[in-house]
Amino acid sequence: MSFAQILQSLVAGLGYTVLVTLLCAATALVVALAIIAARRLGGKAAGNALDALVYVLRGIPVLVLLFMVFFGLPALGLDIPPLAAMMLSLGAVSGAYLSEIFRGSLQAVSQAEILAAQASGFTPFQSFRLIELPQMIRLSVPGMVNELTSVMKYSPFAYTVGIPEITKQAMALTSTTMQSLQIYTAVGLLYFGLYRAILLAVAYVERHFAIPGFAEE
Amino acid sequence: MALLEVRNLVKTFGTKTVLDGVTFDLEEGQTKVIMGPSGCGKSTLLRCLNRLEEPTSGSVRFDGKEMTAPTADVRALRQLIGFVFQNFALYRHLTVLDNVTLALRQLKKMPAALAEERALHELARMDMAEKRDAYPASLSGGQSQRVAIARALAMEPRVLFFDEPTSALDPVMAREVVTLINRLYLENVTILCVTHDLYLAQYISDSIIFLDQGKVRAEDKAENLLSGHADPVIASFFGRKS
Ligand SMILES: Nc1ncnc2c1ncn2[C@@H]1O[C@H](COP(=O)(O)OP(=O)(O)OP(=O)(O)O)[C@@H](O)[C@H]1O
Ligand SMILES: [Mg+2]
Repeated sequence: MSFAQILQSLVAGLGYTVLVTLLCAATALVVALAIIAARRLGGKAAGNALDALVYVLRGIPVLVLLFMVFFGLPALGLDIPPLAAMMLSLGAVSGAYLSEIFRGSLQAVSQAEILAAQASGFTPFQSFRLIELPQMIRLSVPGMVNELTSVMKYSPFAYTVGIPEITKQAMALTSTTMQSLQIYTAVGLLYFGLYRAILLAVAYVERHFAIPGFAEE
Repeated sequence: MALLEVRNLVKTFGTKTVLDGVTFDLEEGQTKVIMGPSGCGKSTLLRCLNRLEEPTSGSVRFDGKEMTAPTADVRALRQLIGFVFQNFALYRHLTVLDNVTLALRQLKKMPAALAEERALHELARMDMAEKRDAYPASLSGGQSQRVAIARALAMEPRVLFFDEPTSALDPVMAREVVTLINRLYLENVTILCVTHDLYLAQYISDSIIFLDQGKVRAEDKAENLLSGHADPVIASFFGRKS
């Protein structure tokens, strides 16, 4: 097989890699936003419960959690489809990490602005949504990029639950062609290309939402 | 009936009494300046009046309604009080225009076009209309404070609270801001202003409340307080400053 042919047969898997990465990243974002909103707006008890949840999620290997969800939950009568299992494991763990990034950024939002919002009659939720959240997200961009790439790099776990993403395709290919070196080089190139694509996309979005002088102090 | 009637207001933090029975009135259209040594409770007083801090005891009546009552609608009260801070506190992710329209759109539910019109009117009043699309980071301190005042005025508050509006500004910018606050004073905007700035105090006050150790030590016209007051504490406070 020529290198071009190898790349071509791997591209089918690329779609799944992208799908897994995006779905897990989206899950992470939803989980992290829910955690940070509950932290900001909930009471002390909610905060402690979330601390515990985040602590646990960050402590479990993604693969173990994935197996718990995919192979364990059916024992309780809950059948989880492969993609959903990825979202509930990789997505949730990444969400826990992302919520910590958000927490740091939220602390960097000026107390004076929050006080001004409160003084003009905004509810805590309005203050969070209109003042704190937009600033928090912008301050979190570097951390979010890291987290997104890390999700991409964990996406090969998807093959263990039967999703035919790049790594899975590569394994199938090596077993029939024995051209391991070329094949895994091609895999590496595809992941690197994906990584570059993520950076480009983020740079584009960032430029679009850039605010002159924001976060430059 | 005065717009704002403060009676025996007490605020303690733990064992520390910061406000110790403050009593005064503010009439509609009147401007009062609060002065006093650093740490005497001026900021705490303003913050208790719109319940950013919970008063420990005493009464605050705003437009006849008791504002320390548990049933009082605190957020409705806050919308009637425009608050301008020493550090401007502009929302840094929003343009000048959006800073001014945000509360109009979100709290008053004003349609965007109407909110913009109101905002531009107030920005023009503060000579800041041409900066409508600028972000706070690009503004000087004086410009920021003018936007903050426009933001407060846009809500058509019954009273404006200022907490040291000029003390973060260099003298030239401070003068600019004093001139604009003086313009509001001449238009009979009701103002309660905490300041250390004698220049500001003289130019805008109908009377000055002198606060000392959480108590109103004197309330009088600026000219009576500023030179050779019989009370040695007051005399030395202003003696040191002028
Ligand atoms: N949240 C708080 N907890 C405990 N003590 C506080 C709190 N807020 C204010 N104080 C104390 O109350 C006193 C009065 O503070 P305040 O800020 O009202 O003074 P001020 O007159 O505005 O002073 P300055 O002129 O320096 O602004 C100070 O001693 C301050 O340390
Ligand atoms: Mg103060």
